[in-house]
Formats: sequence, structure tokens, C-alpha cells
Amino acid sequence: MNSHLSRGPPTCQQEYWQRAEVAIGSDLHDSIIGPKKYRMCSPKACGGAFDAPHLDCRQTDPLPNSLLATILWMKKTLGHLAWAAISIGAAFFLAGIAVNRGEPVNSMWLVLAAVCTYLVGFRFYAKFIAVKVMALNDKRATPAERLRDGWDFEPTNKWIVFGHHFAAIAGPGPLVGPTLAAQFGYLPGALWIVIGCVLGGAVQDFVILFCSMRRDGKSLGQMAREEIGRVGGFTALLTVLFIMIILLAVVALVVVNALKGSPWGTFTIAATMPIALFMGIYLRYLRPGKVLECSVIGFVLVIASIFGGQMVADSATLAPWFTLSATGLAIATMIYGFVASVLPVWLFLAPRDYLSTFIKLGVVLMLGVGIILAHPPLALPALTRFTDGTGPIFAGKVFPFAFITIACGAISGFHSLISSGTTPKMIAREWTAWPVGYGAMLLEGFVAIMALIAACSLQPGVFFAVNSPAGVVGTTPAAATATISSWGFPVSASQMDSLAADVGEKSLYYRTGGAPSLALGMAHIFAKSGGGRAILGFWYHFAIMFEALFILTIIAAGTRVGRFMLQDLLGHAFPPLRRPNWMPGVLATSAVIIAAWGYFLYQGVRDPLGGINSLWPLFGIANQLLAAIALCVATTIFVKMHRSRYMWISGTPLVWLVVVCFTAGWEKIFSDQPRLGFLADAARLQNALDAGKVAAAKIAETRTQIFNDRLDAVVCGIFLALVLLILVDSVRIWYGILNGSRDARVEEAPFVISQLQPEEL
Amino acid sequence: MRAFLRVLWEVIREIADENAYQRHLRAHGRSHSGEEWRRFCDRRFARKYARAKCC
Repeated sequence: MNSHLSRGPPTCQQEYWQRAEVAIGSDLHDSIIGPKKYRMCSPKACGGAFDAPHLDCRQTDPLPNSLLATILWMKKTLGHLAWAAISIGAAFFLAGIAVNRGEPVNSMWLVLAAVCTYLVGFRFYAKFIAVKVMALNDKRATPAERLRDGWDFEPTNKWIVFGHHFAAIAGPGPLVGPTLAAQFGYLPGALWIVIGCVLGGAVQDFVILFCSMRRDGKSLGQMAREEIGRVGGFTALLTVLFIMIILLAVVALVVVNALKGSPWGTFTIAATMPIALFMGIYLRYLRPGKVLECSVIGFVLVIASIFGGQMVADSATLAPWFTLSATGLAIATMIYGFVASVLPVWLFLAPRDYLSTFIKLGVVLMLGVGIILAHPPLALPALTRFTDGTGPIFAGKVFPFAFITIACGAISGFHSLISSGTTPKMIAREWTAWPVGYGAMLLEGFVAIMALIAACSLQPGVFFAVNSPAGVVGTTPAAATATISSWGFPVSASQMDSLAADVGEKSLYYRTGGAPSLALGMAHIFAKSGGGRAILGFWYHFAIMFEALFILTIIAAGTRVGRFMLQDLLGHAFPPLRRPNWMPGVLATSAVIIAAWGYFLYQGVRDPLGGINSLWPLFGIANQLLAAIALCVATTIFVKMHRSRYMWISGTPLVWLVVVCFTAGWEKIFSDQPRLGFLADAARLQNALDAGKVAAAKIAETRTQIFNDRLDAVVCGIFLALVLLILVDSVRIWYGILNGSRDARVEEAPFVISQLQPEEL
Repeated sequence: MRAFLRVLWEVIREIADENAYQRHLRAHGRSHSGEEWRRFCDRRFARKYARAKCC
């Protein structure tokens, strides 16, 4: 704006600006005058007197100084009052859900607590980081402008980048994690999602996006290698590969547990595969480039498949074909993963990905609207008796296990891969990183809050009957309902049977993994918002289809990426493996990746405790440890930027994650309770074997269980060791820089002034 | 409201890669054809699906 004033001949416009600046300072344009009142004038229209778009004074008469000052005072005061009200609201609603005991809380308390806290975090904390630490500068050309290639690097409108980034970070994690953590009650999960997101998750996403943007869009692994060292880079790569394997196993287990014994759900999901193949051919040969048109057709077909699933479930001939056991579904999922990862991307994965992304965004929107319309009361208490570690869904006390069970939604290491992937290559102005990096994560946190509400709005007895494994509550409906009722959460077998009939299922017991209970909660909210119980079955299977569709897309894409990483790693020893189209290499490495996650999946399916008890904490620890690596990189960069006085911004969540993950990891390996500690469970089984207390038919299975427990302990130990390595390496660098013995050289791209014009966006 | 809907539409087109395809055509001075779309897809998908999808 000052450049307008200093150039060109004096005009009434310049005089106006000068007076305005005296009265209210240089933020005039943003803070007082909006484009609706004063149109923007292009340089051309002004006869070249000004070299940038500016306010067109011909649209209005200049205001007197006194009036300008009054407007400013009112605007500032109203702004302060509004933010004060939002801040007080945040504190009030948070306190409301925290102190309430005994009577049901309406879900709107959670919604308002989250919204107010997120607004305050976005406006004050994130802006503080952007100004004081990052020194974001819109005059600095971003990689999207400097390296523009029409492919990856392209300056893009900020809201489009926001939508694209949010679609990329939103996965099943923020839906499933809060549902599982609801076993502690709604309070621990709600507080962690709200506070963890503002101080941890959103900070991580924002800071990594900033770091990548200032480094030509480099990936987390590249930044770790350059800023911390080769050990850091290699460790990050290895950690990502291990996490991917556990992630694929655990999300596959969620799908398997949702579909076992359900011909309706299984048919619907099976039908999405020929639909995706049809979409692939349609898009490539019949109507090239018409992605939206193709996705609409795919959506209509998927909805038709839900109705088809109901007919299959009602058919005595067809239903048995689609009624699969957990083991059968696990094998089918592995075959699916293998085929999907070797088929051409355009034929299967890409059309499926388009479809699942649109359905995912649509369902999130529907859930938000549904919760506002239905605003259900939370039936689960603030805290349950299971905070002591005796929970049926997974073992472990509220600290640290609530904080690793909810990863995505509060803080997720996986987001750092997205924030250092496509997004930094699309950002046109540095300040856009603020809403995109920080804001999109807040929205994901809100999705997690909605999932928590959907789960907690179920009757507690129903919630535990659906999510508890037979190994904990008993193998018959009568035993299960008696056990759950004895915990103080009354539920009857007839109630469960009636609910199962309402949603078109034979049984809803022992469906561990979170997806079915989330689907039930969502179906109730959707049905309450319109349609009633008559269409509960449709909504339940719609929710199951939505969860399974994008989880299976993640499995296909993840297996493929895992294969690429393996090809890259093994290619050092056997160079032909590095050729992406060398079919023997493709098949062999795909098979290795499938075998790796398939083994853990099979282990989960066979686990009498439902698999989630051992696999979800492993996944949570791994995901949070990846976040710890990202925060190590961010802290190192802050220190190198001479911003060590602000290293607490990334250092605080880093310390918290290290404490949480190492406590959880230690307990998972060494706890003396067999349900919690892997080694204790292996010892218990070994003792039973040695004492001859295991039936002959079960000896082989017990030996496998012992091996699996020890394997899980080793995997958990490897995660901790890898992160310890990168943490020590980082601390060594920070110490060296802070005591002056090491050069603080940053690897930032040089400053280039932006030439981008607003009309280009 | 109109501006909001326009941005929403553009977000949807971006997710669908339709905007990226238009950029590709502009950047390389080409016009739309089935062959061009397939060339664009092969290159875009090779990069897009070399990255992990978020959990």
C-alpha cells in the first residue's frame, strides 16, 4: 500500500490514503474498508498512475479523519469484544464438559467447546507462530511460483489448496480412534482432541508445511537428511515403511471386523470393485477427462449396490455366498491388496480414490449437519471405570493410552508426509500456510469430535457389546450382556437383537475395531435428522460402505507405496528392482509387502482379544513417533533459524509425545499384566504350555500366539529405538548450535521477490 | 454465496484433477483429446500414487 503512496502524481486518492494512514495506520485496507464498499481499481483503469491494484476513490468520497478514527475505534473494540466472548466461551464450554458429572451432557457442549477453542488457537496462537517464528512474508516467492511447471508446482487459490489439503489428510484415523477411546468416557478424548490439536497437531502440520515451503517443497525424509543428518533421513524412511505396514494391517482389521458375517456389507463392498473398474475404463476410453461426471455415475452405482446388498442379505440363495468369516475376509483383503497394487493405477486405484474422496467429504459434511440438527445427548459418562486400565476394547490406563489411541484428530505423524508432499508445491502466498497448515488440521480435529459424539451418543451397553471381544465379555450373547451389565452399563440380548434387526444384520456382538459402532452412531444421527428408524439399515450400511471404501483405497495405495519403498531400498543390492515396470520385481515386492501387513492382519483376526487390543496401540505409537520425528526436524530448523527462544512451540508437543509414546511402548512390552504386556502374555502362554494345561489341538495355535506376542514386542521396541536414535541426533545438533560449536546453516531456498499478480489466482 | 459456491466448485474440480488437466493443456499449449488425457493421467498418477495416503 505504501508503494501506491510513494509513486505517481498526487491525486485525491493519494491524499485520502495519507489521511487514512495518519488516522488508522497501514492496516487500513484489511481492517476497515472491505471490497464491497470500495471497489478495487486495476492499474490499467487508473491510467498507469499506480502500479498495483488499489482502492478506487472515484467510488466514494474520502471520509473525514474524525469519522475514520471513530470507525477504527469501533471496529477494534468490537473485534476485541468478539474475541473476548469467544475466549470466554471456549473456557466456559470446556469447563462445562470437564466438571459435569452425573447428568447427560448435550453434544452441542462439545461442539461449541471445540469451535471456540479452535477459533482462539487459530487467531492468536497460530498467528503468533506465523509472525514471531516463521516471519511469513507474502512478498517472498513460493516454490509454486519459482518452480512453476504446470504439473506439481502451480500457484493455486488458497481455498482450493485448503480443500485439497483437507481431503488429503482426512482418513479413517479421526473417525476410528475417538470411537475406540470412548471406552474411557467422552472427557479424555474430547480434551485431547481439542487441546492436542491446537497445541500439537495443527502446530506440526503448519510448521512442517512452512519448512517444506521454504525448501522447494522437499519431503520430510529429505529435510531430516539435510537438517539433522543421514542417520535422521534413513531413520525417517525406515520408520515410515514400518508404520505403513502396521497401519495397513490395523485398518484392514477394522474392515474385516465390520464385514464378518454381514452379507449386506460384504456385497456392497464387493460391488464397489467392478464399479471402480467400469469407472476406470469409462474415464480412460469412453469419456476421457470427465472425472466429475464419472464420479457421479460411480456414486449412483454405489448407492444402488447398498440396496442390492439388502436384497442379497434377504436372499436364501445369495446370502451364504457373501457371508464370510473373519479369516475368509482377511484372505480376500490380502488378495484385493495384491491385485489393486499391481493393476494399472488408471484402471482401479485412481477412479476408486476419486469416488472415496468425494464420499468421504460428503459424509463429513452430512455428519456435521446431522449433529447440529439432532444434537444428541452423550449417553456415555464423562469418565468410565475403565480409566484404570481394565477396558474391554483395549487394555491400558487413560494415561498414556488415550493419547496414542487418538492420533489423527489430535496429532498425526502421517500429516507431516502430506504437509511436505503436494501442498507446499501449490501455495501461492506464504501466509496461505496459516489457514491451510493450521486451519485444515483444526477441521480434522472437528471431524474427530463429531466421531466421538457419534460413538458417545450410543447407549453405553450397546457401545460395549459391539466393541468388546468375545475373549473378554464371553462367547454367547447371554454371557456378553451379563458381563457388560455387571459393569454398570445395562444391555439385554433382546435389545441387541432388535438393534441388529433394525440395521439388517444378524448380530452386532464382537465387532471390534470401531467402525460398526461408529456406523451405528452415525446411522442414528442421520435417521434422527430425517427418515426415522425405517431407514436405519440403509444409513448403517451407507456408513459401513463409506468407511470400508476409503480404507480399502488406503490399503491399495499403501501397498503400492510400500512396494516402491521396498524396491528403492532393495534396489541398492539388486539394481533391476529399482525399475518400476520390471514385472518380476513388482510382483515380488508387492507380495513381500502384502505378506508383511497380511501377517499382522491374520494375527489380529485370530487373536481371542479381537486384535485391536494389540494392533491399534502399536499403530498409535508408530504414528505418534512419526510426529515426534517431524517435530524434531521442525525444532532443529527453528534452532538453525536463530529462533531457539521459540523452540518450546515444537518442543512442548515433542516432549509430550516422547513421554506418552515411550510410556505406552514400555508398558506394551514389559507390563506384567498379560492383557497389556506382550512379553507377559507370551510368558503366561508359555507357562501354560510347559504345565501341560493346553489342549493338544490348541498347542500349535498357542505357539503361534507366543511368537506373535514376541514379534509385537520386537516391533514396538524397534519403533522406540528408531525414534530414540533421531531424537539423540537432533539434541546433539541443538546443543552444538546453542553452545556455538556447530554452524547454524539453514537449507532454505534463497529469497526471491514474488511477481505473482492477484488476478493470476 | 455465489463466490462460496464458485470456490467449492473449484475445490471439487481440483480434487478431481480436472483443474490440473486444464493447467497441463495451457502450460503445454495442447488441446483436449483422449490421447492427451491418457498422457496426462499416466504422468500425474505415477507421482500421485508414489506418495502415502493419510490415515
